[in-house]
Amino acid sequence: MQVNSPENFTENVSEALAQPNLKKVIRRTTDKAETKRAEAVTNFPEFENARLQGQKIKDHTIKYMDHYLAEFEKNALAQGTIVHWASTAEEASKIVLDICRQHNAKKVTRSKSMLGEEIGLAHAFDNSDIERIETDLAEHIIQLAGDPPSHIIWPAMHRSREDVVKLFREFHTDPTYSEEITDLVRSARRDLRTKFLTSDIGISGSNFLLADSGSSCTVTNEGNAELTITPPKVHIVTAGIEKLVPSMAHAVPLLRLLTRSATGAEITQYNTFHNGPKRANDADGPEECHIVLVDNGRTKMLAENMEAMLRCIRCGACMNHCVVYKHIGGHAYGSVYPGPMGSVLTPHLNSLKVANKQTHACTMNGRCEEVCPVNIPLPTLLRSLRAKSWQKKYEPLTNRFVVQSFAIMAKRPKLFQLLSSCGVIFMKVFSRKGWIKYMPFTSGWTRNRDLIEPESTTFMHQYKKMKKNKSSGA
Amino acid sequence: MTKHINNPKNELRRAKIFNAIKAAAPTVTTDVKSIEAEALELLKESEFARPKLLSEDATQALMLRIEAGLVIGTSCEKISTAHDLPNAVNQFFSKHFLPKELKVQNIEPLQKLNWEGISTDVDIQQDNTVGLCWAEYGIAETGSFVVHSSPEMPILLNFLPLYLIAVIPKSKILHYMDDYALIANEIAKKKETPRNMCLISGVSGTTDIEGVLVQGAHGPEVLHLIIIEDQ
Repeated sequence: MQVNSPENFTENVSEALAQPNLKKVIRRTTDKAETKRAEAVTNFPEFENARLQGQKIKDHTIKYMDHYLAEFEKNALAQGTIVHWASTAEEASKIVLDICRQHNAKKVTRSKSMLGEEIGLAHAFDNSDIERIETDLAEHIIQLAGDPPSHIIWPAMHRSREDVVKLFREFHTDPTYSEEITDLVRSARRDLRTKFLTSDIGISGSNFLLADSGSSCTVTNEGNAELTITPPKVHIVTAGIEKLVPSMAHAVPLLRLLTRSATGAEITQYNTFHNGPKRANDADGPEECHIVLVDNGRTKMLAENMEAMLRCIRCGACMNHCVVYKHIGGHAYGSVYPGPMGSVLTPHLNSLKVANKQTHACTMNGRCEEVCPVNIPLPTLLRSLRAKSWQKKYEPLTNRFVVQSFAIMAKRPKLFQLLSSCGVIFMKVFSRKGWIKYMPFTSGWTRNRDLIEPESTTFMHQYKKMKKNKSSGA
Repeated sequence: MTKHINNPKNELRRAKIFNAIKAAAPTVTTDVKSIEAEALELLKESEFARPKLLSEDATQALMLRIEAGLVIGTSCEKISTAHDLPNAVNQFFSKHFLPKELKVQNIEPLQKLNWEGISTDVDIQQDNTVGLCWAEYGIAETGSFVVHSSPEMPILLNFLPLYLIAVIPKSKILHYMDDYALIANEIAKKKETPRNMCLISGVSGTTDIEGVLVQGAHGPEVLHLIIIEDQ
């Protein structure tokens, strides 16, 4: 699996922009999601109230996180769940693999979980002698392709139908020779059915953890979570500690927000609450249930005043509405979490030194905050990370020089106006038919698009002239 | 059954996480009663933060929702008594050109019916089968039915067949998901929480290939809800 590094963000972006069809395939899905979300919000006039309620529920749980974690642990234990704790991604991944080895598991089925990706489970299984089977259709496609996910809701959005046709013909035991999407889905259905029924261990994430019952909740539109979890003898849940809510009644408002924001549907088809192992004489279900509660940077976010980010319910609306994401796609970010939410999360899960460039890949147009179902002030959080990055001197020297020079000029209006006037003349030299295709010091811009020719004089000059004309006219 | 892991490393990791939370928010109260009161207060907002139903009557609201095509791949009908169920199932077979074979959930209200002419115990591990289950609840807000795992309710019965028929007693149709959450809370207080509580709202679907919706990704492609009026 070729995974980009967050450190090489600039190179990743150049590669993404050079791919001729990438922008088209990204926009096909994100534009549709944007339209459908807008319709869902229009049809739900109480959306703003719901959003405020969702924000308050998450804030309340985060504020009392230790209380709710202890409650969850107590109730999960009472249900018969074995509770594990992991401070880091490596610890979490090792715990899961150890459980699998203790049960001599040969193959495990997994339903899509971003936390599973975050702790590197896919990679850990691929480096072991245990076969990993992804059961979400998109995850199945990217597993066959050897790709990392490119979106948190549609991880295979970067793959076209033609790609899927080739992959299924190569890897499915009874592949379809049709190129119809329905037939492709049927091919995956045939291929995965036996795998569901013969898996040794089922691994899931959790959209919500209910403190008052010790339950974990999965939300899928394919029903693959239940098919992953029910047949094997062992169920392992991996979940971030921020997934907590006090009770099912508190999860309900968030369920209303989650699907509308993610896909524009009013509800996802399958919302299941899992409560420990099967009861005596139950017709089916796993005999053993484990949950791994993962910190991996979340308490660091609490300590660094980034707790608003822990509200995130992983709907993906911020990336569906992000002009940067729509151009470069998910892989360029070099992280499990792309887009605006990823640009805030990655510096905490990895480090700001490694992922500071992502914090600058934002136009500050505010769309992500406008559509966030739990009101996360993403632009504000990104700005605070930029400030921190500046203080820690993570910016390249050229950037620091330019910004410091600007600061000097901005404090001296006459010098600023003089240099601006010179800049206008300089730009005019390179202008052809109203556009600048090349100009020294601007290759970062002109590499991918042209600069528009400036007006003949600076803004200040025009402003003064206009003011003078007005006063003489009066 | 309570299972603790006798693992000092696990205890250390646990302590590390709790200490980090305490260090991050040292002024936060741990008065349980005030936390519970605050949590309860948040739920009072639900009344103003949920969508209006298509009808004040829960059954009508659920049916209107399905008839409007708002629940993916789902149809519904109302019958007077459970005795009318085999006839409704026969009509379902005819509509979808299916052989008269299905898996009927092993529950008394379904097993006692007259299934003459219909094979009622097909192997659902095979594809292209029909399942028939008895739902615990219906939810008008989302067009959902709810099933609880039990000795008589295999969860896979709702996920393996390509066609699924769910029977909902009219008296068990709730207005909102919040109403079901209150019931779940009561069940939990009695320590009778089942292993699985599934809220199912439509069929197994995917938009993972080029954003095109396909029904029957892994589970049902067709879902039919039958509401029994006298139950």
